[in-house]
Amino acid sequence: MSRWSPYDLNGGTCIAIGGEGYCIVAASTRLSTGFSILTADKSMILEVNDKCLIASAGFDGDRSQLHKVLTFRSENYEHFHKKPMSCPAMAQMLGNTLYYKRFFPYYTFNLCAGLDDQGRGCVYTYDAIGSHERVGYSCQGSGKDLVQPVLDNQLKAPSILELPPKVAVTSLSQAEAIETVKIAFSAASERDIYTGDAVEIFILTPEHGVQKEILPLRRD
Amino acid sequence: MAVSSWRMDVPGLDGKCGQASRAAADLALGQDALLTNAEVTQANFPLPAVQNLDHFGKKVEDLVKPDHGTTTLGFIFKNGVIIAVDSRASQGSYVSSQTVKKVIEINPYLLGTMAGGAADCAFWQRNLGMQCRMFELKNKKRITVCAASKMLANTMYSYKGMGLSMGSMVAGWDPSGPAIYYVDSDGQRTKGTIFSVGSGSLYAYGVLDQGYKWDMDIETAVELGQRAIYHAQFRDAVSGGTCSVYHITQSGWVKLRGNNHYDLHYQYYPDGHATSANSVI
Amino acid sequence: MEYVMGIKGKGFAMVCTSATAVQQIITMKHDEDKILPLGTHSLLATSGEPGDRVQFSEFVAANVRLYALRNGSKLSTKAIANFSRGELATALRKGPKSTNLLVAGYDKGKGASLYFLDYLATMHDMNIAGYGYGSWFVLSMYDRMWHPDLTEAEALEMMRLGIEEVKNRLVVASPTYTIKIVDEAGIRTVTV
Repeated sequence: MSRWSPYDLNGGTCIAIGGEGYCIVAASTRLSTGFSILTADKSMILEVNDKCLIASAGFDGDRSQLHKVLTFRSENYEHFHKKPMSCPAMAQMLGNTLYYKRFFPYYTFNLCAGLDDQGRGCVYTYDAIGSHERVGYSCQGSGKDLVQPVLDNQLKAPSILELPPKVAVTSLSQAEAIETVKIAFSAASERDIYTGDAVEIFILTPEHGVQKEILPLRRD
Repeated sequence: MAVSSWRMDVPGLDGKCGQASRAAADLALGQDALLTNAEVTQANFPLPAVQNLDHFGKKVEDLVKPDHGTTTLGFIFKNGVIIAVDSRASQGSYVSSQTVKKVIEINPYLLGTMAGGAADCAFWQRNLGMQCRMFELKNKKRITVCAASKMLANTMYSYKGMGLSMGSMVAGWDPSGPAIYYVDSDGQRTKGTIFSVGSGSLYAYGVLDQGYKWDMDIETAVELGQRAIYHAQFRDAVSGGTCSVYHITQSGWVKLRGNNHYDLHYQYYPDGHATSANSVI
Repeated sequence: MEYVMGIKGKGFAMVCTSATAVQQIITMKHDEDKILPLGTHSLLATSGEPGDRVQFSEFVAANVRLYALRNGSKLSTKAIANFSRGELATALRKGPKSTNLLVAGYDKGKGASLYFLDYLATMHDMNIAGYGYGSWFVLSMYDRMWHPDLTEAEALEMMRLGIEEVKNRLVVASPTYTIKIVDEAGIRTVTV
C-alpha cells in the first residue's frame, strides 16, 4: 500500500487567449482520479467578476479551497473599494495567495484572465507556488504538453523582452480565437485521457460582459 | 527588533541555524538597514503538520515542479556594471516560459537577478523592492547596494533549511561606486567583481573569463555579456529565450540589449555554428 | 579531477588530458599519460575509472595493431572510433566500462578528425569535445574561439587558456596536463 498523501491529481485542461478587445477562457469539465472518471461536468473556472476569471487545473480539493479564498477576498475588496477587482490586481493577489502556501502548496495550476483597464484581453499564467507572468495566451493542466505547442505555433508573438521593442499582441480576431480554442480542445481530448466530456468557453468583451458557451467533447 | 519574531518554529530547523549565528547576522546588518527590516518581511506561512518537513518539501517539489533553470551574469569594469540574463523557465524538461524577466528593477540604481525557484526569487525580490522603498522614505536617502543585499540575505537566512531556492546578484551604483553582491538561499552573501549564477553559469564563466578586461569600452563589455549568455544558452538546455543586457552607471541602469537567441545565432554564425563536424554513420 | 579536451584544426587534431592519477583524495602521480598512441597517426585520450580506462584503451590499441598485422593495412581513425564504439556498446549491456574517450587522428586524403565517444557508446565527429567538470567551462570558451581555419598555434593557445580557466575556476583542478598533437607528420607531445 502506498503512503498517504494530502494530494491527488484530478486532470483537466484550461486555455486562455487574450486579444484586442476580447478574452477567452476555456476549461474541460471532466474530473478524474487515476483511471476513474468521477464526473463529467465539474467546472474549473471561477467567475470573479465580469472583468476577471480564474481557471485552475490540478487537485480539486485545493481548487475548491483556493476559489473560496479568492471569492472571499475579492468580495472584501469590492466592499472596501466600491469597485470590482481589476484583472491585474487579481493576478498579483493570486500570486501572493499561492506563495503564502509556499511550504504546503495549493496543488493547482492556474490561469488568471480577463480584461484590463483599457478593455484589452490579459492573461496571466502561474506555477503552483505563485510565480506568474503576463502573456498573450496560455494553457495549463494535463493537456498542456499537447496544447501549448499548438498555441505557440498559431499565436506566437515576439517576446516583450526584445530591444528595440516589437509589437507583442495576439493578432487573432475573436471568432478565430474561439475556433482555435475549440480545435485545441477536441485535439487534446483525442490524446489526453484526462481531457474530455465537455469544455466550457467563457468569452469576455467590454460590450457584452461574460458570455458562456459549452462545446461537447468525446465522452470515452 | 526581537530576534525571536523572525523564527519559524519548525522541528527540523533547530540544528541548522542556531540562535547565536542568527543574532550575529542581525548585528552584522549595521544600524541603518535594521530600521526597515522588521515589519515588512513578516509573513505567517502555514506549514504542513508533518514530522519531517524537509522530506515533505522534496516530495512536494517533485509534484508541483516549480519553474527552474537559468544563466545570469554580472561584472564590474572601468565604465560601470554589466548585468546579462537569459529568459527561459522550465518545469522538469518542459519549457514553461521563454519570456521570463529575470532582472528585477528594484529602483533606478539597483537591479536584482533571478536564478533558482522562480516564485522564491520573484516574491522575495519584490519584497526587497518594498523594503528598499521603505528605507528611502524613512531615511530620505537611497539605500546602498551593501545594505540592500544584506536585507535580502537576512530574509533568506531566516528561512534557511526550509527549502527556498534562490541565487541572486544585487547590483547597482551608490555613493561608494559600483557594486555587485551575490546572495543565495543558503544565506551566503559576498561582494565581487565577476559573478555568474545558475545552471548555465559554468558555460558563461568560460566565455566571460576569457574575454574580460578591466578597461574595456562599454560596447565591448555589453557584447561580452551578451556573448557569454549566448554561449550558455547554446550549451545549457535549461537556459534560452531572449538575452537581456543591462548597463549600470553613476546615473542609474539602462537596458541596452534584448535579443532572441536565434537572432543572435544567425548574427554570430550566418553559415551555421560548427560544433560538430559530420554525421558519422 | 579528470579533464579531457580535444580540438580539431585545419590539418591536425589536438588533445589534452589532466596528468594526475588520483586515489580518493590523494594525488598519487603528476605525470600519468592518459593519451595512448594507436599506430602512427591516431591518439586515444581517455578518462574514467582507472582500471577500466587502462584495460579498455590497451584492448583497443592491441586490436588496432592486430588488424594492421593481419591485413597489411591500417584502420582509419573513423574505423577505430566505430570499433571502439561497438565494444563499448556491447560492454554497456553487460558490466559497463566507465571509460570516456576522444579518438583523434589524421588520415591521408581525409585530413584530421576528432571523435567524441563516451561510456554509453555515444559517438560523434566533433570540432571540439571534452569530458569532466572542467569541460563545462571550457566547451563554451571553445565554442566562442573555434573557427574552421584554426592553426596549430591558435589551438595550442586555446589549450593553454582552457587549462588556465580550469585552474582558475574549478575547485578540484589538476595541477599538471599532457597535450598531444596528431597531424600529417605523426604524433607529437607538446608543452604550454
